[in-house]
Amino acid sequence: MRLSAGSLAELLAEAGRALAEIQLRGARADAGGDWRPVEVTAPDPVSLMADWLNELIFLAETERWVATEFAVDIGAECTLRGRARGITLPQVPGLVKAATLHRLRVEPAAGGWTSEVILDV
Amino acid sequence: MTHPSPSYPTIAVTPLLREIPVSARSDMRVPVRIYADDELWTQIASDRSLEQAVNVATLPGVTGCVYAMPDVHEGYGFPVGGVAATRAAEGVISPGGVGYDINCGVRLLAGDLDQETARSRIEAVVHELSRSIASGPGRRPWLDLSGPELDRVLQEGCSYLVERELALPEDVLVTEAFGALPGADPAQVSEQAKRRGHDQLGTIGSGNHFVEVQVVDEVFAPDAAAAYGLSKGQLTVLIHTGSRGLGHQVCTDYVRRMDRVMGEHRIRLPDRQLACAPLESPDGEAYFAGMCAAANFAWSNRQAITFNVRRAFTGVFGAAGRLRLIYDVAHNIAKLEEHHGERLCVHRKGATRAFGPAHPETPQRYRAVGQPVFIPGSMGTASYVLAGTDAGLTLSFGSTCHGAGRAMSRGAAKRARSGAEVRRELEARGIVVRCPSSGELAEEAPTAYKDVERVVEVVHRAGLARKVARLRPLGVVKG
Repeated sequence: MRLSAGSLAELLAEAGRALAEIQLRGARADAGGDWRPVEVTAPDPVSLMADWLNELIFLAETERWVATEFAVDIGAECTLRGRARGITLPQVPGLVKAATLHRLRVEPAAGGWTSEVILDV
Repeated sequence: MTHPSPSYPTIAVTPLLREIPVSARSDMRVPVRIYADDELWTQIASDRSLEQAVNVATLPGVTGCVYAMPDVHEGYGFPVGGVAATRAAEGVISPGGVGYDINCGVRLLAGDLDQETARSRIEAVVHELSRSIASGPGRRPWLDLSGPELDRVLQEGCSYLVERELALPEDVLVTEAFGALPGADPAQVSEQAKRRGHDQLGTIGSGNHFVEVQVVDEVFAPDAAAAYGLSKGQLTVLIHTGSRGLGHQVCTDYVRRMDRVMGEHRIRLPDRQLACAPLESPDGEAYFAGMCAAANFAWSNRQAITFNVRRAFTGVFGAAGRLRLIYDVAHNIAKLEEHHGERLCVHRKGATRAFGPAHPETPQRYRAVGQPVFIPGSMGTASYVLAGTDAGLTLSFGSTCHGAGRAMSRGAAKRARSGAEVRRELEARGIVVRCPSSGELAEEAPTAYKDVERVVEVVHRAGLARKVARLRPLGVVKG
């Protein structure tokens, strides 16, 4: 996934939406239900991206719940405190197995942040 | 889109073996040796697999050479088709050197049915297999294990399935490590991993995993074929899958953990996906125990699938459909082994153990000919049975390749051919296909892979293993 956004928080939300697109295989899905809290702490932005996506991957596989809408805040020391809303499916059509650290890039760029993430599918 | 590795100096050791010397990059600790003919070499050099093998050659405690098999291709950090050994006493263990799908592997079943007798029922049995084996991402569970039951699978592997009457006692004798690594500790497998795995036993999963019905269409080594109980015209079943979400979570958990402690161990690496820790450290020991548990889960998974394959075969063919296990071998694993008088941690990622007749871990019944090795082709192409050689111990730590090896990414494969086209082509060749998704079918098109015959020929001529038989597909159930 190649991503860009205005801030690190927006970048992580964008990564969540991109992951959902893969998990849903492009099918349109309207989020519903309650917002649920998601919190991830990591030592650096690269690890934060991997841990965040791996948390969403875990929820999709174990609860068949694909998060599609996000509200993300980044606190001090790379702590993501967010909320997500999504859909529960009988079967997730495009399960992703893991977000890897392989060539994972999360960097500030002109006007915001960019990232490249390689997923194991 | 693939990117080539940097151009490294190479030495031609033999016509089928090239070496990147330790002087090629300042941080290398050992040379890299690549088994390939000229055509495979060109393909190998077209992606980052050589650069990844050079990165692996920087791991602390790595010894001998890093080996790249003829099917090597770019992986996550560590190339797929790579073998690296580290000294157990002072070296590291790397979850990335095993891969996400811990103990992904292959097992071969055969019975007394021949193709002529079974011809009219092939479609029926493939259909029955697709009905009875859960395939595809997250498909319906077949067996939902309680916490204590899952812990017993993680600890005891296939022996527990014998107790549950999902395995025959003789199956265990022809499974690598008897289907259970003794170093396993379920306590080192996270609750998240257990939540992913509790209902996945007996499922194929997605990607390149499959159950294939085949016929032995050529025998190259009659002595080994006889020892394995294989003969021309005989029906076989090949099962290819691994540790499912449980193994993926174990890898994810320990890549994260090791990435965060490498600094404490003063380890610096060119790729974070190679994150590692000394084997003899709390982090290394915990990963090894968790990986062994996930490996036991994978052997049990293939065993549980075997239970359903046997049921499908006897359901369609009656008593004539009984199948015996020839062997089960891992191709994503790290194991403690003695080599040249030293205790080593041998990482095989997309590489198969291939011990010869003299090795004590070769099953008793195969001591005359060597351990069976299975090299599946791509979907729709031939697979091969080989026998391990004693020479392989010095050539590659007793390892050989694991498949044809991808020549095209999954995305590129999907762009090149549609799933419907691939299905039509396979069916035109008389291969019965059952696959829940056309997209998955396109990703695994034969054109997305290297030529398995060429890969096997290099393995055979280099002496890593010897060709025994070729298996032609008749029907495939894809994950």
